Amino acid sequence: MAKARAIIKRRKAVENIRKITRTMELIATNRFRKALNRATEAEAFTRKIAELVADLRETSAEASHPLLIRREPVKRSLLLVLTSNRGLAGAYNGNVLRIANARLLDDQTAGIDTKIEVAGKRGINYFRFRRQAVEAAYTQFEDRPQYEEVETLAEKYIRLYLDGSIDRLDVAYTQFFSTSRQIATVQTLLPVATAELGQAAPSVRQSRKATTPEDAASGRKKTRVPYEFLPDPASILEELVPVSFKVRLFKCFLDAAVSEQIARMVAMGGATKNADDLVKSLTRQYNRARQSQITRELADIVGAAAALQ
Amino acid sequence: MATHSETIGEEKVGKAKPGGEALHCIVVTPERTWLDEVVDSVVLPAFDGEVGVLRGHSPMIARLGHGELRTKLGGTVHRYFVDGGFAQVRDDVVTILTHRAIPADQVDATSANKDLERAEDMPSTSEHEFEVRERAFARARGMIRVARSKR
Repeated sequence: MAKARAIIKRRKAVENIRKITRTMELIATNRFRKALNRATEAEAFTRKIAELVADLRETSAEASHPLLIRREPVKRSLLLVLTSNRGLAGAYNGNVLRIANARLLDDQTAGIDTKIEVAGKRGINYFRFRRQAVEAAYTQFEDRPQYEEVETLAEKYIRLYLDGSIDRLDVAYTQFFSTSRQIATVQTLLPVATAELGQAAPSVRQSRKATTPEDAASGRKKTRVPYEFLPDPASILEELVPVSFKVRLFKCFLDAAVSEQIARMVAMGGATKNADDLVKSLTRQYNRARQSQITRELADIVGAAAALQ
Repeated sequence: MATHSETIGEEKVGKAKPGGEALHCIVVTPERTWLDEVVDSVVLPAFDGEVGVLRGHSPMIARLGHGELRTKLGGTVHRYFVDGGFAQVRDDVVTILTHRAIPADQVDATSANKDLERAEDMPSTSEHEFEVRERAFARARGMIRVARSKR
C-alpha cells in the first residue's frame, strides 16, 4: 500500500496548492476590476485635456515650452522601469525587464549615458542581481498608484530635464490595450512631442476613444466655438505642456497596475488549471496502483491455495 | 402661417440649448470625475481674479489660479479649494480640470501655513526653481485664504 499512499499524499499537496492559486486568481480578478475602474475614471481628464488642446490648436496658437525642445544629440537619458512589487504574475515583469534591457543596450551602443530608475521590488532585485547601478528605486506604487505621488516624481523629472541633467526620459512599462492584449513598451515622455501634446497615451477604451474625438472634432469643424481665452491661447497651451506630461506619466502607472493584475490573473488561472490536471492524473495513478495491488494480493492468495493442494 | 413659424421657432430655441435649462458644473481631477452637479451659478478662481459664470455664458477657456471655487444652487453655496488647472465653459457646461480639489471646510490652515514657511525656504537660483517657488507660494496663500474665509 506504500506507493498508493504516497500518491494520495502528493494529491493532497496539489489540492492545497490549487486552493491557493485559485484564491490568488480571484483576488487578482477583484484587484484588476478596481484598477480598471480607476483607469477608466482617470480617462475623463485626459479626454478633456485633449479636447482643450484641439480647441486651442484651432486658434493656430503655437506653444513654446522648454519641455517641447528636442535636444540633439542625446547625451544623457533616464530610463524609468515599472515593474511589480510581487511576483507570481507570469511573464509580466520578465517582459518589461527584457524590453528595458534592450533599450539600455541600444543606448550603450549609441554612446548615451543612461541612468536607471526602477519602481517595484521585482525590478529592483533584477538590477541588483545584474549588478547594475540604479539611480532611484520606488516601492510605494502598489496596485493603486496615487496621482500625488506620481506628480512629485514627474516634477523631479521636469526639473532634471530643465537643468540639463537628462536629455530624454523613457518609461518601460506594460501598455494596456484590452483585457486580452497588453504589450511591454518603452515610451519617450520627455521631451514632450508636439504631436502628442494632450493626446492620451494609447489607452484603455480604444473603441470608445476612436468615436468620441472624431465626433467632437467633426462637430466642431462645422461650428467652431468662438472661445474667449483667459489669458491668450498660446500661454494656456504652454501651461498645458507640463500637465500633459504629468498625466501621461500617471497613465503609464495606471496601465502598469492594470496589466499586472491581468498578468497575475492569467498566470494563476493557468496554475489552477494545471493543478486540476495534475489531480486528475494522480487520481488515475492512485486507482491503478490500488487495482494492481489488489490483483497482486489475489494472485498471492490463489498461488498459496494452489501450493497447499 | 403665423402659428407655423412660431412652432418652428420654439423648436429651434429648444435645440439651441443642448445643455438644457440648467448649468452643469463638472470638476475633473487626474484620478476621477470629482464633482458633477447642476447648479445656478459658478464662481471660478481664474489666474487673475474670480470669474462668475451663469447660464448662457459665452464659450470660454481660462487658466485657473489656486483659489476658491464656489457653486450656488438655490440658497446654498458650496465652496471648494482648487489647485490650479483649466476651466472650459461651453453650452452651459463648466468643466474644471485641476490637479486637486478639496471641499473648503477640509482645507487645513495650519498645514497651509507650514507649506508657506517651507516655500520661503525653497531655493530660487534658476528660472525653474523660481517658478516652483512662486507656485508653492500661490498655492499656500490660496489655501490659507480659503481656510480663513469660512469663518
